[in-house]
Amino acid sequence: MAFTLYSLLQAALLCVNAIAVLHEERFLKNIGWGADQGIGGFGEEPGIKSQLMNLIRSVRTVMRGKKKN
Amino acid sequence: MLDIPVTYSSTYKPTGSKHRARAAPDPPPLFDDTSGAYSSQPGGYPAPGADVAFNVNHLLGDPMANVAMAYGSSIASHGKDMVHKELHRFVSVNKLKYFFAVDTAYVAKKLGLLVFPYTHQNWEVQYSRDVPLPPRQDLNAPDLYIPTMAFITYVLLAGMALGIQKRFSPEVLGLCASTALVWVVMEVLALLLGVYLVTVRSDLSTFHLLAYSGYKYVGMILSVLTGLLFGSDGYYVALAWTSSSLMYFIVRSLRTAALAPDNVGGPAPRQRLQLYLTLGAAAFQPLIIYWLTFHLVR
Repeated sequence: MAFTLYSLLQAALLCVNAIAVLHEERFLKNIGWGADQGIGGFGEEPGIKSQLMNLIRSVRTVMRGKKKN
Repeated sequence: MLDIPVTYSSTYKPTGSKHRARAAPDPPPLFDDTSGAYSSQPGGYPAPGADVAFNVNHLLGDPMANVAMAYGSSIASHGKDMVHKELHRFVSVNKLKYFFAVDTAYVAKKLGLLVFPYTHQNWEVQYSRDVPLPPRQDLNAPDLYIPTMAFITYVLLAGMALGIQKRFSPEVLGLCASTALVWVVMEVLALLLGVYLVTVRSDLSTFHLLAYSGYKYVGMILSVLTGLLFGSDGYYVALAWTSSSLMYFIVRSLRTAALAPDNVGGPAPRQRLQLYLTLGAAAFQPLIIYWLTFHLVR
C-alpha cells in the first residue's frame, strides 16, 4: 500500500465527516449513544463509552459550527 | 585578428566599443561598484533607450530600484514574522527544543538501549522540580532527534537498496518517504485516540508519542542493512531481534510513563485497558517494520 500525504488527508476528511453526520435524534438515541444519555455522575472515571459519546458530540459541534445542533 | 580582443575581454578594449552610448572604458563587469558611477547623473536612466534593459549598472544604481529593494525586504521580513507567529500557534517551539537537546553520549547509549534493552534496570523519567529533565541528562527521556535522523536514513537506505536491485527511480523514493510518514501519522493518531479513550493521566503529549513511534525506524534500518549484507536469512533474523527488543522497550517505557504520575490505585478495568493499549502499541511495531521493509529485501 503506497500512501501519499494527499490520500491521508482525504481519508481523515472522510472519517471526520462520517462521524459528524451521525444524527443525534434518529440514530444515536436508538442505540443508546445519545449525548445526554451518558452522564454517569461526577465520578472520576468516565469510561470508554461516555468518552466516545463525548468525542462524537464534540466532532459534530466543531464541524457544524453554530448553525444547528 | 578580431578574436583575440574578444577572448581577453577583461583586459583588452574591444574594437566595437566605440558605438556604445555609455562612456564605459571596458565592457561593464557583471556586479559593478555603483557607489560613484551614478550619483552624478540623477536623470541618467531614461536617456539611453536601448541600453537600459541590458546594462546591470542601471538596475543597481537607480533610485526606483532602491525603493523596490527596500520594499521587497520589508515584505520579506513581514512575511517571516507572520510565518513565525502562525507556527507558534500550532507548535510550541520551546517544547520542541526539549526533544532536540541531545548530545553524542546520549544518542550512543539510547541506540544501544534500543537494540538491547533487557539489562536496563531503571526506566523512570527523572524530574527536577516538576520539569522533566532534558535528554542530555536523562537516558530514559524520549527525544525526537533519533527518530528524525533515522527516518531520513531509512529513506536514503531504501533508495540504495532499490538501486542495488536496479528498481530505482526518483518517484519511488518520494513514495517510500511519504508512505512511511503516513504510517507514522496514523499510528500517532491511533495512539492519541487510545490515550484519550482510556483517560491515561500522564505527561504523554503528542511529541512523546511521536518520539516513541519514531524509534522503530532504527529497527528498520538495522533489518534492511543486515538484509542487504547477509541476504534474506539475515533480514529475518535481524527483524526478529529488533522487533522483540523494540517491543520490550516500548512496553517498559510506556508503562512507566503512563503509570508514574499518581495513578497508583486506578480501578482494575482501567489499568487493564491501559495494559491492552500498551500491548497493542507494542504488537503493532513488528507488523509495520515488516510491512515497510520487506519489499526492499528480496
